Amino acid sequence: MPPYARISALAALTLGLLAGLGTRPAPARQPSPAGQAAAAGHPRPAFHADRTYDAVAAPVRLRIPALHVDSKVQRLGLRTDGTIAVPDRTDVAGWYDQGPRPGQPGPAVILGHVDSTTGPGIFIGLAAVQPGATVRIDRSDGTYAAFRITHVSRVPKVEFPTDVVYAPTLDPTLRLVTCGGSFDRARGSYRDNVIAFADPA
Amino acid sequence: MWKRGKGQLWRALPILCTGLLFLMPVHPRVPVAHTALAPADLAIRFEALLGQHSVLAADLMRSRIRGDDDFVQAANTALGRNTKDMTDLVGQLFGTGTAEKFSPLWSEHIVELFAYAGALAARDDTAKGDALHELTEYEVELGDFFAGASQGRLRPAAARQAVVAHVGHLTGQADAYAAGDYATADDLYRMGYQHTYDLGLTLAEALLPAADAATLREPLWRLRSQLGRLLAEHAVLVEDLTRAAVTETPDFAASGNMINGNTRDLAAAMDTLFGPAAARQFQALWADHVEQLVAYAQGHQDTASTAMAGIERRLGAFLSGATGERIGTAALTAALQKHDMMLMRHADAYAAKDYATAHDVAYQTYQEMFDLARTMADAFGASVAAKLPRGGAQTGHGGMAAIVSSLPGSSSSGPGR
Repeated sequence: MPPYARISALAALTLGLLAGLGTRPAPARQPSPAGQAAAAGHPRPAFHADRTYDAVAAPVRLRIPALHVDSKVQRLGLRTDGTIAVPDRTDVAGWYDQGPRPGQPGPAVILGHVDSTTGPGIFIGLAAVQPGATVRIDRSDGTYAAFRITHVSRVPKVEFPTDVVYAPTLDPTLRLVTCGGSFDRARGSYRDNVIAFADPA
Repeated sequence: MWKRGKGQLWRALPILCTGLLFLMPVHPRVPVAHTALAPADLAIRFEALLGQHSVLAADLMRSRIRGDDDFVQAANTALGRNTKDMTDLVGQLFGTGTAEKFSPLWSEHIVELFAYAGALAARDDTAKGDALHELTEYEVELGDFFAGASQGRLRPAAARQAVVAHVGHLTGQADAYAAGDYATADDLYRMGYQHTYDLGLTLAEALLPAADAATLREPLWRLRSQLGRLLAEHAVLVEDLTRAAVTETPDFAASGNMINGNTRDLAAAMDTLFGPAAARQFQALWADHVEQLVAYAQGHQDTASTAMAGIERRLGAFLSGATGERIGTAALTAALQKHDMMLMRHADAYAAKDYATAHDVAYQTYQEMFDLARTMADAFGASVAAKLPRGGAQTGHGGMAAIVSSLPGSSSSGPGR
């Protein structure tokens, strides 16, 4: 059972214990020392909580100088079978838009094809990219996020590490994903995925 | 440490004795509790206690600078409790021998930080220089201690650098606070908290067996730790702001900016988990929550209490929905009610100058928020995991199969983290 599924059942129980009986105790309903201390009669400085949320803008362009990659970025969602959609073109990268945007807390995921039926795709060189290589992602508001590759892994698709690639943390990381390994002609699909992990530069 | 700056330290002795008394039971033997908690669970609690140490030490230093001796005494008692709790965890995580060395070293730097704040209060540059000298010696000692305990996995230079940064944040915020530069003081207060909290992860990764250290890097454990850091910090900063509101200290505006920073970080975490629309909705509710707590401290108890009850219900419903109702609205509303009640009790105790109670409640509130964050992280994580893509990506058509299969890494390797 995945870790998230194992713990979810315990969550409600734990929260119940944390909340005790869930009733509001009485003391603060009485005239309080805080109120008495504040009763001097003169105006208090106001506190205004920040209500403006500035979301990190969506990615529009991907650049990886070491791989000679300079591409627009397409938005990607999920297919009806729950698998991730892939870019329409083999020379264009795609960002999984149900996850974090590059540079905000969390793992942003960008996909690219390794090849077409006749030639190389945008991520043909991803399996050979060296740790330390830089990745720059331009965003729709003119800002950018820079990352540095830390390591590259190849995994069988049937054992794809969904948790490691997509599961949320608040670390502002990037994962680049493509195909690799041997090609299964019967299925018309590579057997493996190549995943490059990157941290903020 | 007693060679120089004796005057400052002798003046501090009665106050520091209170904190040291808290540590007495751990000498000469550090009791090691045997619990069922996994090492990773203990490690993230260690992170939380380190973060708590940073804010308690900063509060101690600030109250010393203000000359608020009653508050100093209560803050020092809380620091002693924090050191004892940390020492217990160090014993469980890294062994009794390590804990026995840790406790006096850790306590020593608190004494020196206090001496530093006393020197600032007295505008005594000589005493300040003496305290800095002692802190510098301590940084080397503690860094070497951590490096030694890691058996080579943490380089002495890296360990010292981490300790230097910790001390630098605390002395820096004290310098700025004494100079009336509250914006800088509060920036360093938050940076110090975040750095010291994360130092717990660095130490745990270095000192724990490799398998346990790897567990701490798993997404679920990272989320537990990170949400714990933000929500526990929320409690700390609300308390800081309500204290400033009660006594109308000049750092009120800067303190307000500080909690707004935390609120933005929490909203960003909600964005990561559930998208920007959810983040905006959360931030509006959370802003109401903080504003009403401040209103309570400023004398609007009735209206604030009524408003808070409504906010608790709306926030409970929102968070329950975010968890995919893995946690019910009623349970979450009750947890938020408890949180608000504790923060109001803190404000009341502080206003009544019952600093011992105020610190006791604050200590409990911090732990409650950390525990609540862990529960929320689990439920949020499960909610998000249910919607993640299934399987690998079909990102190839085979036209370059001969070349692709010969690329580096032709033998499959694991994901690596």
